[in-house]
Amino acid sequence: MKGAKVVVELLERQGVEVVFGIPGGVLLPLYDELVDAKFRHILARHEQCVGHMADGYARALRKPGVCIATSGPGATNLVTGVATAFMDSSPLVAITGQVATGVLGADAFQEADSFGIMMPITKHNFRVMDPKQLPKTMIRAFKIATTGRFGPVHIDIPIDVLTSDIPEKELSKDYPIPIPKRNLSQMLDAVKILESAERPAILVGGGAIWSNSGLEIIKLAEILMAPIITTLMGKGVVPDTHPLVLGVVGMHGRQGANYVLHNCDTLLAVGTRFSDRVTGKVSDFARNTKIIHVDIDASEIGKNVKGHIGLVGDAWTVTNALIAGLQSRKIKQSEWKKRIKEIKEACTCDFDLSGEPIKPQKVIKELSRYLPDDAIVTTEVGQNQMWMAHFFEMSGTRQFITSGGLGTMGFGFPASIGAKVAKPEKAVCDVAGDGSLQMVSQEFSTAVENNIPVIVCLMNNGWLGMVKQWQKLFYEKRYMATMLGRSPDFVKLAQAYGADAIRVEKPSEIKEAIKRAVKSDVAYLIDVVIDPEEDILPMIPPGKKLTDTIYGRCCFSIKG
Amino acid sequence: MKSVRDMVAVISMLVDDEPGVMQRVMGEFTRKRINVETIVVGKCEKPDKARIVLSVTDPVKAQAVIEHLRMLQEVNEAETVDESRHESYLLMMNDFGKARMTGSIEELSNVIEKSQPKKYISTVSAL
Ligand SMILES: Cc1ncc(C[n+]2csc(CCOP(=O)(O)OP(=O)(O)O)c2C)c(N)n1
Repeated sequence: MKGAKVVVELLERQGVEVVFGIPGGVLLPLYDELVDAKFRHILARHEQCVGHMADGYARALRKPGVCIATSGPGATNLVTGVATAFMDSSPLVAITGQVATGVLGADAFQEADSFGIMMPITKHNFRVMDPKQLPKTMIRAFKIATTGRFGPVHIDIPIDVLTSDIPEKELSKDYPIPIPKRNLSQMLDAVKILESAERPAILVGGGAIWSNSGLEIIKLAEILMAPIITTLMGKGVVPDTHPLVLGVVGMHGRQGANYVLHNCDTLLAVGTRFSDRVTGKVSDFARNTKIIHVDIDASEIGKNVKGHIGLVGDAWTVTNALIAGLQSRKIKQSEWKKRIKEIKEACTCDFDLSGEPIKPQKVIKELSRYLPDDAIVTTEVGQNQMWMAHFFEMSGTRQFITSGGLGTMGFGFPASIGAKVAKPEKAVCDVAGDGSLQMVSQEFSTAVENNIPVIVCLMNNGWLGMVKQWQKLFYEKRYMATMLGRSPDFVKLAQAYGADAIRVEKPSEIKEAIKRAVKSDVAYLIDVVIDPEEDILPMIPPGKKLTDTIYGRCCFSIKG
Repeated sequence: MKSVRDMVAVISMLVDDEPGVMQRVMGEFTRKRINVETIVVGKCEKPDKARIVLSVTDPVKAQAVIEHLRMLQEVNEAETVDESRHESYLLMMNDFGKARMTGSIEELSNVIEKSQPKKYISTVSAL
């Protein structure tokens, strides 16, 4: 069987239903086989977006997304997509074409060392030099992407491997990969610490989303009477409406959540790597808190915060084990429970939601109300992302998809396209900034051409808002290169691509726009002109303590 | 003052003998900002496998990088090796000719200090 056919055949056997890609010279043999493939190919307009689309697809379904790019510039364009997936542990299989093995290393036309370039930003990567290795590589790639901690796997395939004949029997062999071991040897200690905690809290990260353990986390929290706080990546794993859920922590987190993070005596951290955006200055973090760290990746335990109890295993399994260990024990119902209620109630803010120009918080409130209960939201990066993290309410079965680790502007829109392909029955909405959207706006073509009716809710403030905010707060308003002086008319831009669009300048118009967008059967842009001076506050300045918080409109009165 | 021995940690790995493995392993050290003092790589008793033995001067960091190395697909085993199993090699040259020696890390660093060879290379291995 020809190499290219092997690729297609094995993608089919993996149950792949869609791939996102852009062809090129060295990929011609593969694209020729794709003509007869059983799965769908979606042609994007930039390889970065090919990666983000596959990533959005993977996050929406919790199964690997597949993307394809050509050699050289195709592969280098794909880098941002792959790196973004890597930082957020998203399972991709990224395939790139490569120049023929005979000229590889001779600076051939469109040659780049994709193998070397992808190495530090993938969970694992392959360069297939021997055609016989192609089936093994393809099969192992999917296993590696979805075993243990998920992550992107890259396969670089020279054109002559795609045209070689490969013995068919290689396709049906089993190619096992090492399975990471669980280590629950400290389980008993963990149970004892949790049982005797006076002020326990549960911090939940993206790991719990990947292993779908929201229900178990809630059950455990109810046993312990512990509040649940989430990282940006963990947002949505538990519904915000639950009385024990206090929302997102960190630099722009809810003050109630941050208060708990810094005032609990015992912290059960599930599937999180204690990023600096959560801990602040790490040497000052949780110095008097007992931490139990649950992670599927043994190398995360002790990486950022040291010297605590570690339980190595997936969030679902370990949470269930903790439930089993704690269920029969007598947990003290302390003052803490009352306190949590006070904290949740104290976490409010004060702004005029009907004021003009439109406040971004108003937009998010309306999105919370009028997007369906099972909507998928994605975000770009910047203030738009943090407003969403802070204010958007995760009710029902909503999903929140964002580039947390790498913070990639331009992620949200293509990711929303991928998510919509994964779950066409759901409303999918990218909440964007005008800077971010301009990095990827060409993908309106892809959305319209392929009938992928996503919603883009553009928080149009005319600035690279987040950077501007930092210049305002920390650089004496010496604004440099943050004003987007000459942006297009976004409504016309979207329409030029065949999408539908509306401009919103009054708070009262937002609701109707959202309703229309949800019903639309083409991609729909809502261009909301928002107050350019509105910041995302509260904020704990980088490297600072909770007591250094800049509150803004936040009225949280229980000061840490 | 700490002796040379106290400052050296030796990491031994069993890896798949495939192209790119060294780059991947060294990448972990670069990213974690760990300075690698010596490297020995070679074929070993298992077919299609190789051993990599590295020494670094920061035992705490060495311990931390082990878990990261274990996460690599081609790394089958990774462990720190205790001092009793360290073995140091020295190849040196001066105007009179070449000499080679084996011994403990400490012994050989003493030799180097005393004889001040014009050129030398020294490395550490372990089993
Ligand atoms: C690809 C990329 N380039 C640069 C940055 C740095 N950066 C972070 S936020 C931001 C501004 C984002 O502006 P916009 O998309 O308009 O969103 P806003 O903050 O105004 O909501 C920039 C430039 C980044 N995160 N990603």
